[in-house]
Amino acid sequence: MSRWILRGLRSGIRTTRFPSPTPPYEEGASSTVRLQWQRLSAPDALAAAQMCPSGAIQAQGTEVEGELTYDAGRCIMCGRCARHLPQVFLPVKDGRVAVRQRSSLVTRVGWSAANRPLPLELGRAAEEVRQRAVRIFRHSLHIRHVDAGSCNGCESELQMLTGPYADLHRLGIFFTPTPRHADVLLVTGVVTVNMERPLMETYAAMPEPKLVIAAGVCAVSGGSFAGGPVTRGPVDRLLPVDVHIPGCPPTPQAMLHGLLLAMNRAEDRPGPEPEEVADGA
Amino acid sequence: MMAIATAVGLSAHSGARNEWVVDCPASELAPRLRRLVEELTLVDLFATTAKGSRPRLTAVLDAPGDPAWLVVHCDLPEAAFPSLSAVSHAASWYERDILEMHKVMPQGHPAPYPLRQGKSGEPGPKRAGGAAGAGDDSGQRPKQRPAVTGQGVFELPLGPVRSGPQESQGFSFFSGGEDIVVTDITLGFKFRSVERIAEGRAPADVILLAERIAASSCFANALAFSRAVERVIGAEVTPSEQFTRTLLAELERAYNHLGVIGRLAEATGLQVAAAQFSLMRERALRASGRLTGHRYLRGALRIGGTEVVPPEGDRVWLRSEVEAWRSQALRLRHLLEGTSTFVDRLDTTAYLDPGYAAEHNLVGPVGRASGIDSDLRRDHPYGAYSAVEFVVPLLSLGDAKARYTVHVMELEQTLGVLLQLLDRWPHAQPPAPLPKLRSGSALGWAEAPGGATVHLVTLDEGGRVARWRARPPAVVNWHPFAHACASGNNLTDFPVIEASFGLASAEFDR
Repeated sequence: MSRWILRGLRSGIRTTRFPSPTPPYEEGASSTVRLQWQRLSAPDALAAAQMCPSGAIQAQGTEVEGELTYDAGRCIMCGRCARHLPQVFLPVKDGRVAVRQRSSLVTRVGWSAANRPLPLELGRAAEEVRQRAVRIFRHSLHIRHVDAGSCNGCESELQMLTGPYADLHRLGIFFTPTPRHADVLLVTGVVTVNMERPLMETYAAMPEPKLVIAAGVCAVSGGSFAGGPVTRGPVDRLLPVDVHIPGCPPTPQAMLHGLLLAMNRAEDRPGPEPEEVADGA
Repeated sequence: MMAIATAVGLSAHSGARNEWVVDCPASELAPRLRRLVEELTLVDLFATTAKGSRPRLTAVLDAPGDPAWLVVHCDLPEAAFPSLSAVSHAASWYERDILEMHKVMPQGHPAPYPLRQGKSGEPGPKRAGGAAGAGDDSGQRPKQRPAVTGQGVFELPLGPVRSGPQESQGFSFFSGGEDIVVTDITLGFKFRSVERIAEGRAPADVILLAERIAASSCFANALAFSRAVERVIGAEVTPSEQFTRTLLAELERAYNHLGVIGRLAEATGLQVAAAQFSLMRERALRASGRLTGHRYLRGALRIGGTEVVPPEGDRVWLRSEVEAWRSQALRLRHLLEGTSTFVDRLDTTAYLDPGYAAEHNLVGPVGRASGIDSDLRRDHPYGAYSAVEFVVPLLSLGDAKARYTVHVMELEQTLGVLLQLLDRWPHAQPPAPLPKLRSGSALGWAEAPGGATVHLVTLDEGGRVARWRARPPAVVNWHPFAHACASGNNLTDFPVIEASFGLASAEFDR
């Protein structure tokens, strides 16, 4: 046993300093796609809506005038738009992607022949954020996780949270086996017909006050399985959702950000820059 | 393969390369298919139904040492067919699945109970429509599995909501106190109907759905699907893209093997060991993220090739990473196998005898730990596997220790394959234009981390997916799980048993 202890000590400290902004996000993969709306042109917008397989990018209108909607809550991160239109769709590694309001994940941009692109809705957190996040959760949070119909990608990333890299215990966050001890219900996957009852019973068994986190695009919007024949749809159709974490699956840092947001220890996802084009993360 | 089909009295015509297709008349189904199932290995058995048309039964068969597959189709005159379960245990779950999802009755099935749990205890979800001629079958089949009774026997339910961040799945242990007498598995909680959602979509979009069957076999399922489409349309993949596909498939094997070994360490209470494997797994996931932009390699594949080919700088970096993983894996293996609390918990736990494994045509590390010598990378080579050398570990002890050993040996082989691929990387060539999508049907396959995944894809005239059947490895390997649980194990062995099988519920409940 002592050999294991030595082995562990020899590895040193590998834990990320997230949510501290330094060092740079080192996970390699991107957590979300940011719409550089200032560089949007009408042909690009129409082409992007054509190639998007998940319906996250939708465009209405013509070359002369129209409107593009990018919904990060439906984006499965296939990377097509970023590969073909890199000047507009920028993959970002920043893990701060969670939001309190579903509408904050949506960006709407209008275009017309006469003017530059016009931001209609920039996905910033609305002013009247529902203050269900309770002060007492600021220090410690116990999570009851329910897989409502996932592909096990979200579970895989949740399991990485307890590992040495993310180490969510350092933030005062723990998984709990019983809903009776839970402060937050973390739901992954689209809610299937067969998981509706276990999900609702788990929620009912939790004491007040309680929060709900929808993790991953399947839980946020139905993702790839939206409108499927044996699914009930996204979590917010059944339960009041306090935090939405986009991603397919969300990276461990995105998961951490969502949990910190539920504890009121983080700010919402940074929206697209209102004026200048960001150089990327 | 051809010879066997002819001997049975069926004339096979060739489909895609290495694939023989047989249309079997329904009147001769019983004797002919039974004989084929006896002589060959049953890989898949499923029904397809559409509103207003007759149900169709399809069997996929394989023979050891033959690179060809045999696909048998049979149009059934009514919603019933003679059961094959009497000659092959492997057919049993497929037939129960067919009954549950399509209301097509396997006549003579010894235990036609529902496989899945539906809401409020009813049998599981049904395919809308069902077969033409499928009436109300409630009188024909039992709704519930028989109860387990005995003096002092009680039921200990577990799930579907599990204790940690795990997949939803139900287990029922019948026990007299310590020993597990009978285990009952309840699947179907997360059934999402992936294959049905794909119908009518373009193959390029269905790749993304194939990736979302299960993250644990994400790339392998996408690869099997896209290879099926490529075999229909006759697309060629350039060598550098073949190498990329093989590299990414092996990377997926690496982080899944690391996951299974890490969970075994956790199940035996070795927190430091679990943390060490978690560190290695995170490094492999980050390497995947660096190469493809996605930690689970999603979006990396396209019909006819790959979206990314790692540039030389990344390959040099990956080579040094893999070298580091290899020496680290060796050190950790040495430490683990010298830790008596680890080895003692695994030894003789959840014994699965080779006879049982052979009857159920088990696949992957579970099969290879019980003497089933099969690996699609070697038996039906694809990608760049013919350009590298590797051995397929084979043990016959059949316990959790054997499954651990197979995983750890496969990890070493996989890291070796990665190094060979990086050393022999071919020059990049411009990809050939993709042939036009057209109608047709073909098999696609890949060796997922958990075993063989075999897909049968049918495209319609417009080149869209008309039918898609995916058979990921867990569909086969969940079957022996209950049997292995009950063979002289205690309730406290369950975490070790579960970790040693390393099965994904999402692969079954796709």
